[in-house]
Amino acid sequence: MKIHVFFSRLLGLLIPLFLVASWHYLSVHEVVPTTLLPLPSVLFDTWWDMQKSGELLLNMKMSLLRVGGGFLVGASVGFLLGTVMGVWKPVELYLYPVFNFFRQVPVVAWIPFLLIWLGIGEWFKIVFISCGAIIPMALKTFEGIRGVPTSYLEVVRAFEYGKFRMFRTVILPSALPSILTGLRISLSEAWMLVIGAELVAAGEGIGNVMIIARRLFQTDVVLVGVVVIAVTGFIMDKLLDLLETRFLGWRRIQNVQ
Amino acid sequence: MSSIANLPAVIRNRYHGFISFLFLLGLWSAASHYNLFSREYLPTPVAVVTAFIRLLSSGQLCISLGSSLLRIIAGFFVGTSLGFVFGAAMGVSQTMEKLFAPLFNALRQVPVIGWIPLIIVWCGIAETSKITFIAIGAFFPILISTFEGIRSVSPSYVDVARVFEYSRFKLLSTIVLPGALPGIVSGIRLSMGTSWLLVVWAEINTRSAAGIGDLLTRSSEGKKADVAFVCIIVIGIVACLINELFGQLETRLSSWRKSYR
Amino acid sequence: MERLGTLEVKHLQKRYRTRNDDLTVLDDINLTVQPGEFISIIGSSGCGKTTFLRLVVGLEKGYEGEILLDGQKLNGPSLKRGVVFQDHRLLPWFSIEKNVGLGLKHPKSAESRKTIQEHLELVGLKGFEKHYPHQLSGGMSQRAAIARALVNRPEILLLDEPLGALDALTRMYMHQELERIWKQEGITMIMITHDVDEAIVLSDKIVVMSSRPGTIKKIIPVPLARPRDRASYDFVKIKEEVLEEFQLHTDYPFTYTI
Repeated sequence: MKIHVFFSRLLGLLIPLFLVASWHYLSVHEVVPTTLLPLPSVLFDTWWDMQKSGELLLNMKMSLLRVGGGFLVGASVGFLLGTVMGVWKPVELYLYPVFNFFRQVPVVAWIPFLLIWLGIGEWFKIVFISCGAIIPMALKTFEGIRGVPTSYLEVVRAFEYGKFRMFRTVILPSALPSILTGLRISLSEAWMLVIGAELVAAGEGIGNVMIIARRLFQTDVVLVGVVVIAVTGFIMDKLLDLLETRFLGWRRIQNVQ
Repeated sequence: MSSIANLPAVIRNRYHGFISFLFLLGLWSAASHYNLFSREYLPTPVAVVTAFIRLLSSGQLCISLGSSLLRIIAGFFVGTSLGFVFGAAMGVSQTMEKLFAPLFNALRQVPVIGWIPLIIVWCGIAETSKITFIAIGAFFPILISTFEGIRSVSPSYVDVARVFEYSRFKLLSTIVLPGALPGIVSGIRLSMGTSWLLVVWAEINTRSAAGIGDLLTRSSEGKKADVAFVCIIVIGIVACLINELFGQLETRLSSWRKSYR
Repeated sequence: MERLGTLEVKHLQKRYRTRNDDLTVLDDINLTVQPGEFISIIGSSGCGKTTFLRLVVGLEKGYEGEILLDGQKLNGPSLKRGVVFQDHRLLPWFSIEKNVGLGLKHPKSAESRKTIQEHLELVGLKGFEKHYPHQLSGGMSQRAAIARALVNRPEILLLDEPLGALDALTRMYMHQELERIWKQEGITMIMITHDVDEAIVLSDKIVVMSSRPGTIKKIIPVPLARPRDRASYDFVKIKEEVLEEFQLHTDYPFTYTI
């Protein structure tokens, strides 16, 4: 690594370091009460304690299971919905206007309705997360299929391809970049909604840990929670990034050239 | 099909969607008419309309919407201005980018709703926390779109300005800002939409006297499905309106771009 | 055995109906193409030559008159007619091998593999089986597209300005190649072009079209021996005859048409 690159990287650490330093200063000298701003070093201890006691792991497991379930259901339904609308024109004509309205209604608005129907149990959370995950997936799948160049379709039409074979060889590969984008948005939406659902309805989960901690004014636990959900979200996004590299190899090379 | 083709364009374009909505409405009426589900779960369309009129005439709906909108405006204003300042600074100056990009990139990883507990601890459950929350949500879309908008301005235009020996200020005001504007406006649209759903989240998590989220919370606590329906529809319509309004703004401000598309 | 690949077009007319307009794109087209013939259709842009080709391929529906292949009326696309587009249209997510095999029913069978291999050899792309389209140059991509169109042994090959996007030198080289493939396969070819030289080098007959509505203005035979010499007296003579039809033999007035 060249020296100036090293220093320019270092520049990025300047502000965070300054912030942490002033944070440390503020809480050591109790300018801000430590209940509100615990020492940065305390955060690490808190995290370690939560890790050791298994509290963190258990709650993360619950949240991740919910995200997994909701995302799987939501993304599959979204994919089907987007595909059906993209492939069959009549379905698009009748269904898209309805979809277009419902997609603009923020998912949060469905909370009371879902609570009345499903209570505050597991079903509520999973259905809620799925609802949120469906929309970006359906939209991106639909857009991807709409965006398939007619020129490619004509090539296989000239070869007398049936609908299914055409879908497999042209439509799906061509729409794949958009579909994978949908998958990513869907997952990050699901991850945000699980936190939201856990804030609203009790039960185990990382969001619930945070909401209990804030009632008890355990700011350190809340902060650890914020960091943990951020890191988890980041890792999930990176995992999908790997998926993209795997499936869109042809595209990446194309972009480099 | 030929009969559809003869209809005027306004109706023809919406014909199929209209049919679908009508079908949904019919399904809903039938389900509630034959008591497929208990009234508590699925109110009749008439009940929803009555609830809507009741909420409207008592002024509750308007007050709720008004307080929510005031919060949005405050939070949106704070978040957007800060986001624009930082985005512009990072877009124009490499040093600023190097200084701030890592910090913001790290903070951006937090799902917005995840900030709620922390904000409540720091700012309590009064107005400040709601406005702060909305501001955080509005901050990032603007930050990113301003930064990317400025960076997307083609260097060849900047070369043009160099040839004409523009001053730095003139370069920014005549080349960089207009070039970045469409991106910025779409960022504004995005953050406005986000603000609208975040205000609901904020109000659900921190009680207040009035707000569309409070109406929502109370409807679910009282198991009033008709009010819940009114909320869903109102929230949906406001979201559509915001989208439409800012979409129009976007097309108007970036009309010179049309030739590109 | 009689060779297949006779195309007969009788009184072909194509109209586009918009809401308040009736646009006749092709009018009274009569053309007979014998098996193994190489025909070029030449005309200025907007004369409907691409529409004509798309009708013959079967990608465009609805016309009046008749288009007969070996006496049978056309009904949609068919494997009997191969097509090469101006842009190579290779699917970027498939390797060259898979792209060439697109027209085969079972591209993975041993027989298909052999056919693909043969056709890659025919167009001079042996060794590029595993490459992806973006790794190929324009000329190579167009060769692959030709191989793809030929792989299921169509009776007739339709080429829509196949060399239009290539640079001048590659183009001349591709003329030789196309002629070689045509001779080797003995297939009927109909090519659309707006390059007069290209048409004369390759064709047995040149169909000159006029625009709005597109009609056949003249059919000019090219009775020259192959390979043709672009600088020969007869070549230039025919070129003048073609250009006469466009009143372009002196200067080149150019206007944009959409």
